[in-house]
Amino acid sequence: MKRKLLTLLSVSLSTLVMAQSVTVEFWHTFGDPKRGGWIQAKADAFNKANPNIKVVPTFKGSYPDIMQAATLAARQGKPPALVQMYEIGSQFALDSGIFQPVGNVGPIDTADYIKPVLNYYTINGKVNSIPFNSSSPVLYFNKDLMKKAGLDPAKPPMTFGELTAACGKIAAANLGVKCFGMSLNGWFFEQWMAEQGALLANNGNGRKGRATEVLLTSEPAKRIVSWLKDMNDKGYYTYTGKLEDWDGSDAIFTDAKVVFHITSTADIVNINDAAKKTGFEMGVGFLPIPDGVKRNGVVIGGASLWITKGIPKEQAEAALKFALYMTNTDNMAEWHKLTGYYPVRLSSIELLKKEGWLNAQAPQLVAFNQLLETIPNEATAGALIGPFQQVRRIVEETIQKVFSGASVDAALSEAKTRADAALKEYNASVK
Amino acid sequence: MNAIAVFKNRWLAFLMLLPTLVVLGLFLYYPALETLRLSLYRANFVFQTETFVGLAQFQQLLTDPAYYQSLLQTVIFCALVVFLGLAFGLSLAILANQPIHGAAVYRSLLLYPYALSPAIAGTLWLFMFNPEVGLVNNILRTLFGIAPRWLDNPILAFTLVVFAAVWKNIGYNLAFYTAALQNLPGELLEAAALDGATPWQRFRYVTLPLLSPITFFLFFVNLTYAVFDTFSLVDILTAGGPTLGKTGITTFLIYRVYQDGFQNFQTGFAAAQAILMLIMVGGITVLQFRVGRRVNYGA
Repeated sequence: MKRKLLTLLSVSLSTLVMAQSVTVEFWHTFGDPKRGGWIQAKADAFNKANPNIKVVPTFKGSYPDIMQAATLAARQGKPPALVQMYEIGSQFALDSGIFQPVGNVGPIDTADYIKPVLNYYTINGKVNSIPFNSSSPVLYFNKDLMKKAGLDPAKPPMTFGELTAACGKIAAANLGVKCFGMSLNGWFFEQWMAEQGALLANNGNGRKGRATEVLLTSEPAKRIVSWLKDMNDKGYYTYTGKLEDWDGSDAIFTDAKVVFHITSTADIVNINDAAKKTGFEMGVGFLPIPDGVKRNGVVIGGASLWITKGIPKEQAEAALKFALYMTNTDNMAEWHKLTGYYPVRLSSIELLKKEGWLNAQAPQLVAFNQLLETIPNEATAGALIGPFQQVRRIVEETIQKVFSGASVDAALSEAKTRADAALKEYNASVK
Repeated sequence: MNAIAVFKNRWLAFLMLLPTLVVLGLFLYYPALETLRLSLYRANFVFQTETFVGLAQFQQLLTDPAYYQSLLQTVIFCALVVFLGLAFGLSLAILANQPIHGAAVYRSLLLYPYALSPAIAGTLWLFMFNPEVGLVNNILRTLFGIAPRWLDNPILAFTLVVFAAVWKNIGYNLAFYTAALQNLPGELLEAAALDGATPWQRFRYVTLPLLSPITFFLFFVNLTYAVFDTFSLVDILTAGGPTLGKTGITTFLIYRVYQDGFQNFQTGFAAAQAILMLIMVGGITVLQFRVGRRVNYGA
């Protein structure tokens, strides 16, 4: 009897404590002071305005690291309420079974989000996560070097053919620099597939049903790899040799050792700063696409915010409240100015236009238009592939093999075999 | 009289050992057993799914040409890292041991790479060998008009990783060899000199044999270093690439375990690889004890 009473007392006490303060653990991937600090500042402001909620942001390493840590924590019954997860981890996060669709937690004003962004995170008709840091690749160019080679910086190349031709002129001008230096990255390949309206995986990019095949031997895939091979064979292309070496390729561009570069819009601010330091003017253009195809648009990259399952209702609601606060109109505009990530809300774009920011900063505007002009369909919604990181790596290795002499057809068909096997292995390991 | 001290109370001895046993059991034996169990399952850490597959994953590995390529690369890499590491370590130790001004300064400077974290060392090399903006190619371009893409060419990338790994560990070898050189019995070398041995003969027939215990020790330490501890260096410098044949030329066994286990979340498959590595390392350990008995530690 006494014990029962005690339990009752402690239960009611703990509910009392809960009512007073709900803690929301928020795990994210930004270890740098600029972005991590911004998140912390937003949490502080939010906590001040909501004395009954305590948001605790923690930097947890890379996306795979977060996934692993969150699963482990969920298994021990202490999941973080809010988790930042990259877009290609969506299927994986879904399969992990530790998250719930944010739409189930509370109402979200879906009309205010840019359509292609919302599309990516809508799975089986449900909004699964809240878009946060979104980006897509754009062409960066060195205006000074373009002028020296007799090219017009106001008309950056829009297609593969135009870029190759521009490279020819740059080589002829003998400036002592290479033409083109993006990092070797599967992300760009995925974007070029979407730009051609091609699916990366079967079953409607894995959105109608679980993907069982990666479509790496299609004509659009061959077009991309053949062009890269041509660029490399002609000596127009350079990279460090390490796969996904973002920093190494950025350094080559900001040191004015190449004229053209492709990387994420998220780097506009950083690269612009570095270019000024080196002493050249940077320009930003649309992602060049294969010739003779209609520009279909880009797949949104970046990450979104997921809410875990099995946590108290008030905790989930507090997590949603914070996620919506951090991504509200003002904050998304601020986040965009700080980093170059898209403001994913239409109202933020309106705000930025009103402030005159978008007119003053042409580079960002290009990035916007590229996203706004994207046609929402299965190709630009992006593929849902469980072992996406593995598939991306296979694509990268394939391009590297082609550079060192393998034939495009043979390399791609081998890549498809490997990717399909990875998919099969993955699908078999999902319950 | 028995020269060996013995605990009178057996339980007391056990009690004293208990903390160690608990730590070993919890952090070594239990995970090892769990790894062995997992190697028989197709397991995914995140989904917590496990399907018993018996030895299928071992079969998959042992029929996978990419695995053999990785194994061969690991063997060549280890041989080079150990041999070059010891050779450079000893040569530098001898040079730094000469009675010259500021020898202590040279010695400390030579120790410095060892104090760097592998992550910093990797980043350093990555930027030094950046084909367009790296220091090395800037020099090569000026002097010879060439600018190789270091991390893209399999042979160059492999060589680079070997030298980065050797460079990173040189301080360790140097420290041990320096200590050993300073403890060499001077009278032996002096006697050899009086008998008319040339400097090379003194080194070959006196110094080198006297150093054999330390060489033996360093051999296995360096081998372990090459197999396991070069992981972060590889991760940052090449991420296992560039691709040659069936897999990345710097995708060594330990890196493949990481890729399959922690990037692809194939926990069971990674566990099977870990078990194979355990068997190999077990073989090396047996070798160490066998040969170790014959090493002359001096009197």
